[in-house]
Amino acid sequence: MAAISNIYSEHAGLGRPFAWSIGLHIAFTAFVILYATYIQGFRGEGWGSGGGGEAMGATLVSSVPLPATTAEKTNVVATESKGLAKSEPEPVPEVEPEAIPIPDKDVKTKKVKPAPVKTATQRKALPEPEETNKIPYGQGGPVSGPYSMTAGNTKGGFGFTGSGGDFGSRFSWYVQGVQRKVTENWLKYEVDPGIAQAKRVYLTFDIARDGHPMNVSVEQSSGVPSLDQSAARALQRIDTFGPLPPDYSGSKVSVEFWFDYNKK
Amino acid sequence: MSYSVRAIYRASIIFGLLALLAASSSAQDWIRTGTGLGVERVRLAAADFKGSNSDAKNPELLKTFNEVLWNDLDNAGIFDLVSKSFYPLQEPGQPSEVNSSAWGSPPPNTSMLAFGNLGVASGKVTVQGWLYDVKNTASPQVLGKQYADNATSEAVRVIAHRFADEIIFRLGGGIAGIAETKIYFVSERTGHKEIWVMDYDGANQQPLTKLGGISLSPRISPDGSRLAFSSVTKNGWEIMMYSFDLNRVISFPRFGGMNLSPSWSPDGKLAFSSSRNGYPNIFTIDGSGGNSHRLTNDQGPDVSPTWNRKTGSQIAFVSGRSGLPQIYTMESDGTNVQRMTDQGYAVSPNWAPNGQFLTFSWMRKYGPGEPGSNDLYLMDIASKQWVQLTHDSGRNDFPCWSPDGRHIVFQSHRSGSDEIWTMLADGTNVKQLTFKGSNTQPNWSWK
Repeated sequence: MAAISNIYSEHAGLGRPFAWSIGLHIAFTAFVILYATYIQGFRGEGWGSGGGGEAMGATLVSSVPLPATTAEKTNVVATESKGLAKSEPEPVPEVEPEAIPIPDKDVKTKKVKPAPVKTATQRKALPEPEETNKIPYGQGGPVSGPYSMTAGNTKGGFGFTGSGGDFGSRFSWYVQGVQRKVTENWLKYEVDPGIAQAKRVYLTFDIARDGHPMNVSVEQSSGVPSLDQSAARALQRIDTFGPLPPDYSGSKVSVEFWFDYNKK
Repeated sequence: MSYSVRAIYRASIIFGLLALLAASSSAQDWIRTGTGLGVERVRLAAADFKGSNSDAKNPELLKTFNEVLWNDLDNAGIFDLVSKSFYPLQEPGQPSEVNSSAWGSPPPNTSMLAFGNLGVASGKVTVQGWLYDVKNTASPQVLGKQYADNATSEAVRVIAHRFADEIIFRLGGGIAGIAETKIYFVSERTGHKEIWVMDYDGANQQPLTKLGGISLSPRISPDGSRLAFSSVTKNGWEIMMYSFDLNRVISFPRFGGMNLSPSWSPDGKLAFSSSRNGYPNIFTIDGSGGNSHRLTNDQGPDVSPTWNRKTGSQIAFVSGRSGLPQIYTMESDGTNVQRMTDQGYAVSPNWAPNGQFLTFSWMRKYGPGEPGSNDLYLMDIASKQWVQLTHDSGRNDFPCWSPDGRHIVFQSHRSGSDEIWTMLADGTNVKQLTFKGSNTQPNWSWK
């Protein structure tokens, strides 16, 4: 009995410090989680400070969501990635007012004089959009050439070492044949007509020695099921790409194929 | 001491071999590519083959060879053939004579180059042909072939077809070329409607049957050994069979009534239209004429069945059950009948080798006051979306797919009489194959 009462009295004495301790722990954990989910999440999209021509220069990122590029036809290098630019309102609407006063008379031009000061401040903001033109991690490879080859285990990464495997350089005609055939067999009208534009969907498959595709899988979904399915069906329609070149010693070639959907 | 050194040496060799093995098994070649990178036809130059010796027969055979090869590559529909006027002055006959930079840069700016030589020696012709990827200086050779045969222009034609098919097979994604395929058709040029055959390019037109009556709907079997057609006999229209093993018409069961428009399934069964029970319905029989099954059972005439050439599990046919003839599909056991066309007058369905598409002849507007033009259409089975293939060019009928799925042969009246024409499956590159008499109902061989 005495032991129990002792414990009880000690517990009562430590109650407040324990409460503080638990409270602070919870607060710290919550902070860590929030930091990880939000702040880290925002940064996650912009992974790719590395760059330039060598896409491999980027550092590894903890989360796997690879940059789903929307295929911007106007500027192949630009992406939707907000990560490198501060999320500021676009300065575009402010440009219009300065354009209007120019043709007017002397009196008005005096009023306009302060305006150049404003534009100067705006121009300071301009360099930031340029940053988004940097090639984000992994997108340098496909953009720079129609296809890139890597050997070894770069699977899952978008790092292109450029000259890893020699299949593409030796048998570029075969690669072009694959590209042509998949594109021909992709029927865009199978995609939900309500979708105007979608993110890129990545498929991977192997081409066996005799040329038939196998192990087709969606590596990265576009988020639009009908688009993913239309891509997979394009592969299903293909019986063969033609036997692998006789000079090629490997038993199969792996292909990562992306589909850009744009309704236009 | 020496023992332990040897052991270490041996272990290191084993370890090295293992490492090499591991490296080679993990060396996996990857292709990364996608859509939207510009899909263009392969730019191909076909240099005239050269004589490899100075035999007197060379020039004549070379002329045939070069013409046939060029036409085959041009007809393939997958190449952008570089005009010969762009070619460098020195055309190669041997790999050592190829100047890659001259071919790979403008004006020819080709990516592929076909070249070779031909020579006659003691009645035999030898042809060597190469296909080079001239933009790839490290390992340019894609193909190298040698052929030998009797020195006749017939043999040289076949060699040119074979070499063209090799190139098409390599660069066309593994689909065999059609240069050696045949087209069967009905011709009236002898005064009777008989079955004729020609090469896919219209050469070597020859009669097969000499029955003296009316023979229609030639259909070559998938293995190419037999030809089914319908012909008028004493008892009316019956299915007839021609054997290429015996080179004559062989006996085949008679069914009574009117039996028309046979069609082969990929596994050698036949579907046809028979009115033995009163109304024309679709029946199937096996290749020997036995095991007859009735698939449709209605009054509306059901005719012109065609099998899904890929799966053999579906049949498209024409039915007048709802008035004007329309295209329907059903499973090969007669279930799941679906109407494909919704208006007009649709006949002559033919199933594409990939199983996805039907082509048929359609008057979309039909009736008094409707200027119905009889054109060919292509329909995607799954979505029922269609595309018009011919425009403003007379009556077009009896489309039939080539085995590569890239061409369609059809009958057209655009030249003023019914003749056989071909086109690419998108309606372009239209070519006339027959010019004499009335030629109708073409059927392309399966291979």
